[in-house]
Amino acid sequence: MKLIINGEQVDSKDNLTISTLLVEQKVKMPEMVSVELNGQFVRRPDFDTTVLKDGDRIEFLYFMGGGGCGTD
Amino acid sequence: MKLKTLAIHGGFASDGSNGATAVLIYQTVSYAYKTAQELADIFDGKAGGYIYTRIANPTTSALEARLTELENGIGCIATSSGMAAIASVAMGLLKAGDEIIAASGIFGGTISLFVNTLSRFSIKTRFVDAAHTEKFAKAVNKRTKIMFVETIGNPRMDVPDIRAIAVIAHKANIPFVVDNTLTTPFLIRPGDYGADIVVHSTSKFMNGHGTAIGGAVIDTGNFNWAKGQFEDIRKLSKKAGRLSFLTHLRNLIYRDLGGCPAPMNSFLMLQGLETLPGRITTHCENASKLAQYLEKHPRISWVNYPGLTGSKFKERTAELFGGRGGGLLTFGLGDKQKAFRFIDSLKLAKNLANLGDAKTLVIHPASTIFHEFDVASREKMGVTEDMIRVSVGIEDFEDIKADFEQAIEKALR
Repeated sequence: MKLIINGEQVDSKDNLTISTLLVEQKVKMPEMVSVELNGQFVRRPDFDTTVLKDGDRIEFLYFMGGGGCGTD
Repeated sequence: MKLKTLAIHGGFASDGSNGATAVLIYQTVSYAYKTAQELADIFDGKAGGYIYTRIANPTTSALEARLTELENGIGCIATSSGMAAIASVAMGLLKAGDEIIAASGIFGGTISLFVNTLSRFSIKTRFVDAAHTEKFAKAVNKRTKIMFVETIGNPRMDVPDIRAIAVIAHKANIPFVVDNTLTTPFLIRPGDYGADIVVHSTSKFMNGHGTAIGGAVIDTGNFNWAKGQFEDIRKLSKKAGRLSFLTHLRNLIYRDLGGCPAPMNSFLMLQGLETLPGRITTHCENASKLAQYLEKHPRISWVNYPGLTGSKFKERTAELFGGRGGGLLTFGLGDKQKAFRFIDSLKLAKNLANLGDAKTLVIHPASTIFHEFDVASREKMGVTEDMIRVSVGIEDFEDIKADFEQAIEKALR
């Protein structure tokens, strides 16, 4: 399936959960990342049970200071 | 996972290298990277990573993750104290000319921040009686940018109608900030009732042992910052999404003010959280028993505890906190001299400025926490000259009662 991750189209396996997507995409510091799915915030306890579908838009966000969001 | 399990396992699975089961204490100022490009990418926001402990630290991150899960929030920033948490929220949301609406019977330190410090930056606070929800609506004007309450006002012990005040705040597109220090997520998760930002002094029940100062800011995810009145946060939401408020704090306000916790203190808070569910239950049980004992005592002038049958907040305590009234109560012996004699006669309970410790603590608020306010101001805050505040500990109740019994006897002799 195709996903839009941080604005870029990415090919990925079907039926991934957010947890498995983090592994597949080799997301750095997965314990620190926050995730939005189609504009909705996904709470960490739901990472294992949220199944992704073709065309989903995912944002990986960090708010560690300097990490991911910059200082606008 | 259930709350009691999150208190122990939330935010930390295990130490991958050596299998340590306790959260590691990263006693470090900074974090080295092999290449100049890596660090440049982190500064530029292209990659995640730690830069400097004033901004983020792995031990503190574990605490933040645990608090996020306990409050069912979307993120958390741990601070060096509860006051640093409230100051960060205020500095992050308010500009000169803006106004706060706050409950009047709240912590003296918070009142001082609002009245003495923020007024220096032309920020005004309108205080309203938390018992009268409609007064929050009446106080709203176009300059209002925050509504602020404590779940239980300390020391007036009033319990605001959080659900109704959240509706009033949201109607005016104002974020609703709730201080959950006295009740903790084990009595209430204010976000479930509409609160947008939850703040804590983690030095109290969360730490539980009077060993470290700390605080926290949690975004519950209820407020839509993309449509809020805060231009800079609204702009940031295009990049940071729902986390735009916390990103604004982390990357600007919190970073610039420097109110970060020491890693060791974050560790102590994590350790305290593990036993909080059990402790808060005992705090509530002992406080309820002590309130009932004092209420029945023929020579006690008055007792104020939201869990008491006679309290005007009894029903709200049942609705919001599952009937548990917390670990704090106040009572009076008629005048200041008797209050002083009572405190001086205690053998077990400690006379000090703190609450939420495993030990029973007392204080005379009028001459200590509220000493800088005049009598008329104190009356408005619900602080009477004869008031004694008790943070009821988790000792055997019979020992607490015996200590109070002998001290009351001496005070009234």
